[in-house]
Amino acid sequence: MDDRIRRIYVPMTESGFYILFFLQTPQHGYGISQQVKKLTGGAVNISAGTMYGALSKMEADGLISFCREEEKRKLYQVTALGREILETEIRRIERLYRNSKGENVDA
Amino acid sequence: MRKTLVHFFTIADYEEEELWLRKQHRNGWKLVKMTPPCFFTFEECEPEDVIYRLDYKNSEQTEEYMQMLNDFGWEYCGKCFGWLYFRKPASAAETDEDGELFSDNASRVEMVSHIVKTKLMPLCVIFFCCVIPNFVRVLFGDYYGGAELFFGILFGALFVIYVYMIVYCGLKLRRIRKKYEQ
Repeated sequence: MDDRIRRIYVPMTESGFYILFFLQTPQHGYGISQQVKKLTGGAVNISAGTMYGALSKMEADGLISFCREEEKRKLYQVTALGREILETEIRRIERLYRNSKGENVDA
Repeated sequence: MRKTLVHFFTIADYEEEELWLRKQHRNGWKLVKMTPPCFFTFEECEPEDVIYRLDYKNSEQTEEYMQMLNDFGWEYCGKCFGWLYFRKPASAAETDEDGELFSDNASRVEMVSHIVKTKLMPLCVIFFCCVIPNFVRVLFGDYYGGAELFFGILFGALFVIYVYMIVYCGLKLRRIRKKYEQ
């Protein structure tokens, strides 16, 4: 993972994390926002413009790639680089969580 | 019945413009068409609380973008100088974010930066490369005929308008960016 990508995406925004997380299976923008809303109990809502901007940027940076088109909607899926970033983020959040409970984390 | 209103909003007034359009719709006038630079055509309709939102895209909007906005419940209602106009009934917005085009500050700030880069910067370039040199040339020219007077007044007026626009928009866009950066 190059430094530029790491600088932009680690740590990443909450919207960015959920988008990447749900693109482990092919999905389009609106579908992602509905899944995020459901999984977070309505705590996280991603608006249309934010979703479109995030997908365009992630595609340009190679985190996700175009998968196929369904009724004029583009479906995306996470790439190997995207998966690497997602895993890095999950480890970081796990560490935060465990530390917040007073646990030590080994290197 | 239709009516056309003249209202000038600068590139930094889009949030006021959204509220103004919403007020028009609440009073029973829905936006039909925008004619550059400042003509709004409305059509009489049932008064309703409808949220209006503006997005700025300096390049051609893609089909994917229009489809996505549509999926999120936004009705496209026209464009003008790169600004795209969308609306959605307030009753259809279950959450605050449903009534917004941008749900996080990072993307709101990004839109402001995009406006500065593709609207305000070109304005500055025209000002420094065209308005100022011409204004100075006319001001210190050797001839004082009718044509010189005409161009003197023209470039003098342009000079004042540009200074006002650049200062006003620059400061206001900075304030909007600050608001969302906190």
